[in-house]
Amino acid sequence: MEPLHGLLDMLVLRSLVLGPLHGYGIAKSIRDRSHDALDIEFGSLYPALKRLELKGWVSSKWEMSEHNRRAKFYRLTAAGKQQLHREHSQWRDFASAIARVMRPAPEEPS
Amino acid sequence: MSGWSRLTTLLRSRRRAAERDMQDELEALRAIAGPRELGNLTIAAENARETWTVLWLARLVQDVRYALRSIRRNLAFTALAVLSLALGIGANTAIYSFTESILLRSLPVADPASLVVMKWRGGRDSLVHAKGITFSTSGTRVEADGARIYTQFPFPALEIFQRNTDVLSSAFCYFVDARLNVTASDETETLKGHYVSGDYFRGMGIAPAAGRLIAGDDDRPGAEIVVVLSHRFSRTRFGTIDRSVGQTIRVNNRPAVVIGVAPAGFFGAEPGYVPDVYLPIRTKALLDSSTNESYYYNEPGYYWIEVMGRLKPGVERPRAEAVLAPQFREFLNTLAPENQRRDLGQLRIEDGAGGLDSLRLRYQKPVYVLLGMVALILLIACANVANLLLARGVARRREIAVRLSIGASRVRIIRQFLTESLLLSSTAGALGVAFAWWGIRLLTLMLANGRENFTLHAELNANVLIVTVLVSLLTGVLFGLAPAFQATRADVLPALKDARIGTPVDAGRRRWGRIGLSGALVVAQIALSLVLVVAAGLFGNTLSNLQAIELGFDRERVLLFSIKPTAAGYPDAALNRLYLDVRDRLRGTPGVQAVSLSPRPLPSGGGTMIVVREAATPPAPSEQRGINAGIFSVGPEFFTTMRIPLKAGREFTDRDVSGTAPVAMVNEKLARLLNLPNPIGSRIRVPRSDTLEIVGVVGDALFMRLKDELPPMVYLPYLQGGAQGLMTFEIRAAADPASLGQTVRQIVRQMDSRLAVFDVKTQTMHVDQAISQEIALARLCTAFAALALVIACVGLYGTVAFNVTRRTGEIGIRMALGAQRSRILWLFLRNVLALEVLGLLVGIPIVLAGSRFVASLMYGVRPNDPLPIVVAVMVLLAAGLAASYVPARRASSIDPIAAVRCE
Repeated sequence: MEPLHGLLDMLVLRSLVLGPLHGYGIAKSIRDRSHDALDIEFGSLYPALKRLELKGWVSSKWEMSEHNRRAKFYRLTAAGKQQLHREHSQWRDFASAIARVMRPAPEEPS
Repeated sequence: MSGWSRLTTLLRSRRRAAERDMQDELEALRAIAGPRELGNLTIAAENARETWTVLWLARLVQDVRYALRSIRRNLAFTALAVLSLALGIGANTAIYSFTESILLRSLPVADPASLVVMKWRGGRDSLVHAKGITFSTSGTRVEADGARIYTQFPFPALEIFQRNTDVLSSAFCYFVDARLNVTASDETETLKGHYVSGDYFRGMGIAPAAGRLIAGDDDRPGAEIVVVLSHRFSRTRFGTIDRSVGQTIRVNNRPAVVIGVAPAGFFGAEPGYVPDVYLPIRTKALLDSSTNESYYYNEPGYYWIEVMGRLKPGVERPRAEAVLAPQFREFLNTLAPENQRRDLGQLRIEDGAGGLDSLRLRYQKPVYVLLGMVALILLIACANVANLLLARGVARRREIAVRLSIGASRVRIIRQFLTESLLLSSTAGALGVAFAWWGIRLLTLMLANGRENFTLHAELNANVLIVTVLVSLLTGVLFGLAPAFQATRADVLPALKDARIGTPVDAGRRRWGRIGLSGALVVAQIALSLVLVVAAGLFGNTLSNLQAIELGFDRERVLLFSIKPTAAGYPDAALNRLYLDVRDRLRGTPGVQAVSLSPRPLPSGGGTMIVVREAATPPAPSEQRGINAGIFSVGPEFFTTMRIPLKAGREFTDRDVSGTAPVAMVNEKLARLLNLPNPIGSRIRVPRSDTLEIVGVVGDALFMRLKDELPPMVYLPYLQGGAQGLMTFEIRAAADPASLGQTVRQIVRQMDSRLAVFDVKTQTMHVDQAISQEIALARLCTAFAALALVIACVGLYGTVAFNVTRRTGEIGIRMALGAQRSRILWLFLRNVLALEVLGLLVGIPIVLAGSRFVASLMYGVRPNDPLPIVVAVMVLLAAGLAASYVPARRASSIDPIAAVRCE
């Protein structure tokens, strides 16, 4: 399952709240936290990451990974945190609106 | 060019670094993740790259739209900013295009670095003693020790350079003729040409655009006359260059076959001088009957050709000079005529990559001065726009603070500011190119000052345009950067709270900093404007001094024109008859008071100085001191026509013709120097002539150059000497002389339609042409000073007006508390006055240092003359106060109730 268009940025930002991750780590984090429901193609995730970096919402740095390998780690910037906050509240409004519309329908008389 | 390529290289290397980083990252991830988990990494990289480009473009579009919006909101501001910048950039482009065409351009030939120009060093009068003096475009350079560097050589000397093939791979010569009568497709014009030796084109290393170029075989005595056309001329006259090849045109009324066309960019050997026809130098004898063949080509004492050469690969200039100089000396030792022996020339070989430097010598200094001035104007305009942007930046502090607080990065906002200023500067640049196009034409007209054979050509070529683009971008960054930083430095909180009343909380240090920057810009503007206004004063004084020079004759109401009958095929024997016929016809014309003729008009630009002695009896040769005097032959009634007063005796008449007793007239100065209290009837001796009887004495008058002291003069009756192929007529008119121009052309055409009338101008114009450089400089300086003044005043006005708006609330409170209106007015004027005084104090040392540099361009003006400086200071103070009075006045008439309620 792929996330809705436009939500990928929010998911990526969210996955970085707990600390810096490298590109593969972000993909894994989203997959794990969704219990394998969201499996994002790396081919879409990576450009999104780069876009967030250019917008100044995440920053990157070469560091050592847990297995002592060099990798590029991404972390949230202050502007990124604000952006995440904005997107999250928008999403909440949106989701609850959808939920209201999709409330279980009254039983149709049979 | 290199700047641009460096920039693209930088961008490319940045992008390459980003690319490499991305590849490294993906490689590292591949090692961390499982083999198939990441999918196709190439596509991931491709998409990432695309993101980068799309985002970059989107931001650019966003920034440009933002800039356009804010420009639209402030149309008046933008118009002023763009206009002042455009004027600055236009002036720079125009002057730079002259610089480029005169000073910087290399000859468009193969390997210009190996070209050399032959010159020789001699004493002050070396060429006076040489038998011939040519009137080419070449210039003689004066060395620091008083010696002169000459560029002309006698024709037989060319062989010295041609035979030394071990150091020179080729040697060639040319001679400039700016007045060739060329008839092609039934239309005759006077064109500029080069007579060139057979090796000229091979030595230059250029290939024909069509046909073939002049080669060795074309340049020998008795060869058929062939001609090579310039690309421009063959295009305008024959449509295409190919069609011109093989045609027969007429040059000075002789048929000549077009054998080829020179390439488009080629302009001969002298930058700024563009010949339209190239002819073999040997044909000069056929085309110009004033050329005495054996004399021109064989006489080792007649200096007339310009010589260039190409060094053999691996040979340096000093080595070539070491080889050739002794041979030139040997040539002079064995062949130089008696009168040139005193002062034998020393060969010099100079760099020829830029061609002959005569034009450079003439215009170098003024061009640098002008370049300096326009640079100052651009700086003033930049300071102006920076100041206006700064003011606006302050006005936009709230907006920027809001944007910063919601997370916009500082870099992003600076980028937006820069986008806006670059947009301004590139618009100004485009407009500036249009101004420059006008400017170049105007400047060419000004420098030519009516001369038909003016040689200087400047154009807006690629090099010039690249410089303009760079200058525009640079100015954009220059005036955009400071306000951008200034605006983004604002602390968010106070700015958000800040209302129009001012910033009471942070009124201390930071406000000082802000006023400091804009104040510094105003100070700089005033200082630079002072330099320009003083320069205008100095050059204006120079011009009025030059125009006040005593000429010795009456320049008003005289019309001059010239004819060259030899170009129409007249033999020498018929010349004098023709001249007198033309004169008689003119004499009978209504409105003409007197007519005379002379081979050249006064001032003659060049001429001959000779040694005059009294031929007294008995002569005591040792005591006899010769006087160096100018010699000039004139027609009958020359002095009446020119209104040079006759002091004693009579003037020349139609009866003073060859065969009668040789006579002369002298001026008072020569009579005095020769110590002749009763000159009439005395006899004088001049070189190569019998003794002459003095029949008249006239007042002193100008001869060669306007700036020379009036020299002692000997006048000879033209009709007693040899016939001249070129003649100038002087007509004294009863009324406006210019109105006779058409009549003159008609009369000459009626007499012989083949005769071209040229250089029709008034005597006043001719004198002005001698000082056209000074006239142009004075006018340009005045224009530049006015421009600088206007731009600076606009800046001052804007700054004060902005301050008034910003402090409206404060003013309201002050007034409510009882401040007088005059005090409010004074509050603002005091500020301006302080800045102005500071600017003037900074400017005066710059003026003093700069005026020394231009001292050599002055005439009769002391460079440190306090008067122009004092006048300039007054002008600036007055203009500055006037500019700031209007907004300050508005401040003092604010309604306090309304002002306070505004808050």
